[in-house]
Amino acid sequence: MPKLKRDLTMEEQLARGPMDLPFLMLVVLLTGIGVIMVFSASYATAYYDSSVAQNNPTYYFVRQGLFAVAGLAVLYVTSKINYQTFRWMSVFLLVISVVLLVLVLPFGYGRSTVGAQRWIRIPVAGSFQPSEIAKLGVIMYFAARLSKRNTEKERRLSPRHPLSGVFALLDKIGLLELVPYILILVVVAALMLAEPHMSGTILILAGGAAVLFAAGVKLYWFIAGGGLAVVGLWFIITNTSYMASRIELWQDPWSDPLGKGYQTIQSLYAIGSGGLLGLGLGKSRQKFLYIPEPENDYIFAIVCEELGLVGACIVLFLFALLILRGFWIAVHARDRFGALLVVGITTLTAVQVFLNIAVVTNLIPVTGISLPFFSYGGTALMIQLLEMGIVLSVSRQIPAPKQG
Amino acid sequence: MAPRRRKSRMVPQQPDRRANRTILLRTLFLMLVCGVCAFVPLFVKLYQIQIVEHEKYEQLAIDQQTRDSTVSASRGTIYDSKGTPLAMSYTVYNIQLSPRDIVKLQDAYQEAVETAREKGKEAPDYPEPTNQFIAEGLSEILDLDVADIIKRLEKVNSAYEIVKWRVEEEESDAVREFITQNHLSGGIFVMPTTKRYYPKGSLAAQVIGWVNYNSDGKGAYGMEAVYEEQLAGQTGRVVTAKNGKGTEMLYRFEEYYDATNGNDLKLTIDATIQSYCERILAKGVETFEVRDGGFAIAMDPNTGAILAWANSPTYDLNSPWTVTDPVLAEYLEKVENDPGSSDQAYLEALGQVQNQQWRNKAIVDTYEPGSTFKAMVLAAALEEGVVTESDHFYCSGVATVADRKIRCSKREGHGDQDLATAVGNSCNPAFIAIGQRLGAEKFYDYLENFGMIGKTGIDMQGEADNSKGGLVWDRDFFTGVYGETSLATASFGQRFKVTPIQLITAASAVVNGGHLMQPYVVSDVTDSDGNIISHTDPTEVRQVVSAQTSERCRTILEKVVDGGTGKNARVEGYRIGGKTGSSETGEDDHTIVSFLGFAPADDPQVIILLAYDNPKPVSAGSNYTAGGWYISGGNMAAIMAGELLEDILDYLGVEKTYSAQADTLVPNLTGLNLADATSRLKNANLTVRTVGGGDTVTGQIPASGASIPGGSQVVVYLGESVPTDPVEVPNVTGKTAEAARQALENAGLYMKATGATDYGSSTVALSQSIEAGTLVDRGTAVEVQFIDNSGGGAGWGF
Repeated sequence: MPKLKRDLTMEEQLARGPMDLPFLMLVVLLTGIGVIMVFSASYATAYYDSSVAQNNPTYYFVRQGLFAVAGLAVLYVTSKINYQTFRWMSVFLLVISVVLLVLVLPFGYGRSTVGAQRWIRIPVAGSFQPSEIAKLGVIMYFAARLSKRNTEKERRLSPRHPLSGVFALLDKIGLLELVPYILILVVVAALMLAEPHMSGTILILAGGAAVLFAAGVKLYWFIAGGGLAVVGLWFIITNTSYMASRIELWQDPWSDPLGKGYQTIQSLYAIGSGGLLGLGLGKSRQKFLYIPEPENDYIFAIVCEELGLVGACIVLFLFALLILRGFWIAVHARDRFGALLVVGITTLTAVQVFLNIAVVTNLIPVTGISLPFFSYGGTALMIQLLEMGIVLSVSRQIPAPKQG
Repeated sequence: MAPRRRKSRMVPQQPDRRANRTILLRTLFLMLVCGVCAFVPLFVKLYQIQIVEHEKYEQLAIDQQTRDSTVSASRGTIYDSKGTPLAMSYTVYNIQLSPRDIVKLQDAYQEAVETAREKGKEAPDYPEPTNQFIAEGLSEILDLDVADIIKRLEKVNSAYEIVKWRVEEEESDAVREFITQNHLSGGIFVMPTTKRYYPKGSLAAQVIGWVNYNSDGKGAYGMEAVYEEQLAGQTGRVVTAKNGKGTEMLYRFEEYYDATNGNDLKLTIDATIQSYCERILAKGVETFEVRDGGFAIAMDPNTGAILAWANSPTYDLNSPWTVTDPVLAEYLEKVENDPGSSDQAYLEALGQVQNQQWRNKAIVDTYEPGSTFKAMVLAAALEEGVVTESDHFYCSGVATVADRKIRCSKREGHGDQDLATAVGNSCNPAFIAIGQRLGAEKFYDYLENFGMIGKTGIDMQGEADNSKGGLVWDRDFFTGVYGETSLATASFGQRFKVTPIQLITAASAVVNGGHLMQPYVVSDVTDSDGNIISHTDPTEVRQVVSAQTSERCRTILEKVVDGGTGKNARVEGYRIGGKTGSSETGEDDHTIVSFLGFAPADDPQVIILLAYDNPKPVSAGSNYTAGGWYISGGNMAAIMAGELLEDILDYLGVEKTYSAQADTLVPNLTGLNLADATSRLKNANLTVRTVGGGDTVTGQIPASGASIPGGSQVVVYLGESVPTDPVEVPNVTGKTAEAARQALENAGLYMKATGATDYGSSTVALSQSIEAGTLVDRGTAVEVQFIDNSGGGAGWGF
């Protein structure tokens, strides 16, 4: 029994406001293009694959298409939810995330295929990566908590306490308030590194950092954190052969053309042979068993090969618009929580796009990051669209500009 | 869930402008970074790859996406002038393994066995394709080492291991069957390619040359090398798309570039004449114990077309690396069996010997032409009018030039001689005088005009250029003050070097009416459909002497064979002209004996140059070989040249002209009266002796149709019965011609003399066609070969 408008609280009325149409259009557009590219990119793989795809060229396409439809439904439903409810849900989401991240280690799978324990299988729906949920959990919780930053109770030890001076100092420089965030990030990152899932860890750290940054945490902490990351990275690069060889492969993929450099080389061939206008949609040659799993992380290489620089730039432009519009929503969000939530989600998407394309073009060393809306993976796409739904939910409550 | 309750729990937010401002600014900052800045490097990198490096990556991608297989072009055929194939190509097969794919086949087999066991089905009905199995199967068919094939199969990253090259049809069929039976079609390939075959084996080996498979199947020597581009054709390509697993791409992408077959060559060489030349060369090398081989060139003097070009030592074109020449093989064996020599030394010797058999001596090497060159001096002198046939030359046995004594071959001197006799005697002092009459300037002009300086430009590989490397004097020296001795030695063909082809080309000009022709070997180049692409017409380089001078030379040179130093080359019935030569080499006991001959003398159809390099003297300094042959052109080359010319002229269908002593056929006289019989015999250039007193002829010896020398006596029986008892052939070897004739006549036989023409006291019978002691019918003709082996007229300069 639908309530009439007059029975609604103001908040509920706001939540029924119009979605941000440009953002919705961009999401739908990218999802559509993504599904088509999955079809094109996976065609050959599916055709030659007799075990999973049963030699059915449309195998991946149909699946991805169904998930996209379901995902858009999820997006709509989510956008209808009053995002204020996410404030309290975020705690549970974070807890669930951590539990799942723990559970994936004994009960998940993936060790045999990619050498990392990343997936959990759910009957019927398929399988998903707990890290996808953890990303959302971290961002949501951070946004919820940081939005109340200025109303938090003052932390103070009794003046008689021997450490009260130190405590006050720590509080003053802002370290104290960071402790829970850092703890959460350390726990989540540690669990994910146990899988191991380096790229996922980077994304979560980036998402969390973005929220912290936008919320107004003192800049020098970011400088310190950034410095720490650089030092750590340098340490890893110089002291582990694993990273060193990655860097070497990044500099010269041709040093191991049939082994570790293979993917990168094949990707470069695909992108390079695309030229300005590309070979035409569906006419990629590199997808014919040259690029391994072209429907996955390297799907953008196929986009470049088939649609050329022009097509690739259009896709990049759409992503840029999506991200800009996301931030626009954040800027115009009704409250701080909404703003921080959208900033987190949008930054996460942006980082993912950047890292994926940078890897595909060999701009940075290889890490396994999928391209939002494009890479094959049903649950990932659904979670992606769910996140977009959250953004749209926030956009509904943007106060209408005053008539003038 | 009353909204009211919830609302009450809301904490009213305090406006915090400063915090809001921070959030706004930082969000805008992130917006800028994520929405704009992040895309800049991505765009730049994409531009870099897709536009700047587009072509590089596209090429690399195409290289890996396409399979470029070649379609081999069929190499052109080489024909002789009569259309007999001398070199041809046919299809053979390379047996290629792809260890990479064989591994896949093995895995697939294992998988099939596994599934069969799981599902309770039957295992594959063919044997497991293990490396051992494949290696054994192939080794049996192809006669290869099992371990070797296994070693190849273990290179599992390779897709291209050729285990045997150029396998014939029979073996390749067996391999195909092996592949089909054992389901190995993805791992073993039978790839067609071509193989060169030389139907005539060693015939004209150095002229034709061979194809070296070690260097991409390119022609290594001779015509195969000179006309490589024409013969090779254009290799075709098939470009097909393939996927990452190496199989065909889903959609078809194929481009064909047709192979263009090579062009065919038609040589001026006649296989038959060539075989005559090679036979005579081999015969001479064996007879005269020749150590450094020799050469024989036959040419059409009127066109410059090479009819035959033989070298010794030679080899079989079908296995060019094998040494078959007896002299070389003997040397090689000596090195091999020498306990003091190492393997290295043997390999070196082998390489050297192989080079020796491949080299085309008659064009790569130069030699001092010796007396054969006098033909050119004679022509020049007659053309310039400095001598005439009536001039006389006195030879005391020695000539003095610039205070140096130059001896004639005949120490006691030839005495007084007219021009023809001087040429016939090959008298050096006479030619020194002729050369002096010509003068150095004129002489040098003729050297040049006869093409004795520089290349002839024949389309043959490796022609030596005697104008370089001090092989012949330059004009300044020759005509200068120190050139006097050079002029003298040049007059009898010594102290300068030419290639054999230069000499025969110049000699052709002397006898063909004065035209220096451009020698050539390839008459036509035709494409694989038979269309003529190019045709060589005889090219005259220049007129050197007049037709009249040429005719006078021919007459004089005919006398060289008809009673002169070349008399051993005489062939009854053919008019042969020529000039002998015995060339110094600057080494002790190393003479090159040669004969330059042409026939018929009135209208030359063929000119030959036959030379043997280094007959072995019986002892150091001796002029005789162990077989008793006097080492000179007249005694060695000439006798072989006569035989060769007879063969060639017979083959060319040149009619014999008969002199008084030429063979004639005995007519049938039976039933005629004596007068008629006598006149018939007279017409046939025969005389008559009657037996019996009848009027009608009842019998005759020899029977009608027998061939006997002209002027012989036919016994006619008038009424008396013809004796039928056989007679014994006497031994005539070593006898002079007259004594031999007498001995045979006494026995009731006829003598057919061959060989020498001047049957004086120094001419003795070398051999007889019917062995002494054989019983034959009366009136049988016995062929007796004579030779002038005096040596008195031979020696330096011959």
